[in-house]
Amino acid sequence: MTPTNDARPGGLRLRSPQNLVAGLILVAASAFVVWMLSGLSQGTMRTMGPAMLPRWTAVAIGIGGAVLVGLSAIQEGDALERWHLRGPLFIIAALVIFAGTIRQPGFLVAAPLAMLVAGFGSREVRPRELVIFAVVMTLACALLFRFTLNQPLPMLVIPALSLNF
Amino acid sequence: MDLISNLGHGAAIALSPVNIALCFAGCMLGTLIGVLPGIGPIATIAILLPLTFGLDPTAALIMLAGIYYGAQYGGSTASILLNIPGESSAVVTAIDGHEMARQGRAGVALGISAIGSFIAGTIATLVIAALAGPLASVALVFGPAEYFALMLTGLAFAVLLARGSVLKAVIMILVGVLLSAVGPDLTTGQLRLTFGATWLADGIEVALLGMGLFGIAEVFRSLEHGEARKVKEAPIGNLLPGRAEMRTSINPILRGTALGSVLGILPGNGAVLAPYASYTLEKKLAADPKRFGNGAIEGVAGPESANNAGAQTSFIPLLTLGIPPNAVMALMVGAMTIHGIVPGPQIMTKMPDLFWGLIASMWMGNLMLLVINLPLVGLWVKLLQVPYRLMFVGIVIFCCIGVYSINSEPADILIMAALAIFGYGLTKFGFEPAPLTLGFVLGRMMEENLRQALMISRGNPMTFLERPIAAAFIVIAVAMLVVGVLPAIRKGRDEVFTE
Repeated sequence: MTPTNDARPGGLRLRSPQNLVAGLILVAASAFVVWMLSGLSQGTMRTMGPAMLPRWTAVAIGIGGAVLVGLSAIQEGDALERWHLRGPLFIIAALVIFAGTIRQPGFLVAAPLAMLVAGFGSREVRPRELVIFAVVMTLACALLFRFTLNQPLPMLVIPALSLNF
Repeated sequence: MDLISNLGHGAAIALSPVNIALCFAGCMLGTLIGVLPGIGPIATIAILLPLTFGLDPTAALIMLAGIYYGAQYGGSTASILLNIPGESSAVVTAIDGHEMARQGRAGVALGISAIGSFIAGTIATLVIAALAGPLASVALVFGPAEYFALMLTGLAFAVLLARGSVLKAVIMILVGVLLSAVGPDLTTGQLRLTFGATWLADGIEVALLGMGLFGIAEVFRSLEHGEARKVKEAPIGNLLPGRAEMRTSINPILRGTALGSVLGILPGNGAVLAPYASYTLEKKLAADPKRFGNGAIEGVAGPESANNAGAQTSFIPLLTLGIPPNAVMALMVGAMTIHGIVPGPQIMTKMPDLFWGLIASMWMGNLMLLVINLPLVGLWVKLLQVPYRLMFVGIVIFCCIGVYSINSEPADILIMAALAIFGYGLTKFGFEPAPLTLGFVLGRMMEENLRQALMISRGNPMTFLERPIAAAFIVIAVAMLVVGVLPAIRKGRDEVFTE
């Protein structure tokens, strides 16, 4: 419920900011998808082209978004929720680092780096504990996934030293 | 009798030492990941899926079945001990299960949940074995029009079962269908919606979707609250329920099994309803309903059995029709496809070893849980005592390893990151990711069947209404959507979910 909405005289009262924003995003996204598909043929009913299903699905999503926008003026709904950015920021950074380092120099570098960065996503991070955890987890995962379960994880690849295992 | 000899044949395959070992490893690893708070069966299976890539198809499916049951059991353990259900079907277990844990009866709650699941699993295995044959032969007469209409019914059912706004659930399904269209068009091979990026040219892997939307996004949500959870310091107590407790539990277990078996067969994730239905039923039947919510053992025994029976019979639509009824089964399809198996009615006749081996291993998986995992409960408790500020780091690295092992493609990790942000955004706007996953899974199949049906009917869309079976499915789908919008029914539905 949103107690903070003030009624504007004569105008429509916004009853659900959450639905309004969600609806607007959906409408914009569906317009973007329809635009992206503009180069592809839709075909006919008898021989559907590649754009037929995605295009009409996107149009339906756009209509759904428009209905949400409309409803936001009629139905009471939730206020916009706060986004907490600390966790997502550090974890996304960790994922990017892992993706960038896994092929070279490999898991033994990628995993501890990623874990050290991800750990700061929590407000209660304790650096020393995190370092120990990262090292132990890296070794445990290397043993479990590479050597016990035979997964194709490059462990340490350093071309300059001709290391590759 | 055919049924017995078929099951015997399956048991012979499932009981080979290698397969027993794999089923055991699957159960252990499934519990290990599934017990982590906030990690439900979908994320667990997505993370562990790559482990099965190197195995032969039958062994891979047997291990996956083990992972699945392990994940389910791990989820129950987390709900009972921590009151943090990993997925919606474990919410019910948490009500009385966690209350029992607070009274020092955690062991009995875990024990009855394992025993109930085992009984439910045994009966559900027989149900699958008995029903699979007849259903598969029905499926053989289905054409593309019937398949398309059936999948539509499944989606309509998913809308009916989704929590919150019906409109939002419909939108989520459409978004899922749209996401499934990313990648090459199956007929012409033209690329769609790939931004010209080669790493999107194969489309989005369902395991990525599972890990992004259900794994990492859940970590984002949990980090908002900080270290709020507390592991029960109270002793676990006896694991085996006493005679009196067994007597009060046996009927709820059997009723839950019946409910779960029936609901699980429905397309569109009927299984998710089973624990709620069982809890409501037990509360209605109880002599003293006030005990529910205060640690009533029936409130654990019934829903857990229903959950497990439903989890098991939801294999039926997948194995007989080739239609995955929920995200977990969608991951199974992903696993089967990697091994070159096309799920559907032909599996049973063309690959009897795989089919009956899988069914027998389901029962074995349940037995493993009872005799091996239950005694290990102390280990899982220890694991749960790891503070979340470290645990989530572990979850993130497991997801990284899981994603990388699928294709050895670093870009996949970035796709998962994008999906995680998307999933976090969904909850911020009151959308649920579950219907999206189902739409994603069925999207491609629906497009193919729609295309073929229209080709056969020479472009006449009336074909869906002229063919009687297809028309019946369409009518059911429309009826369910109408029911979903009716205010009276909606109120009842919301009550079931808030119970």
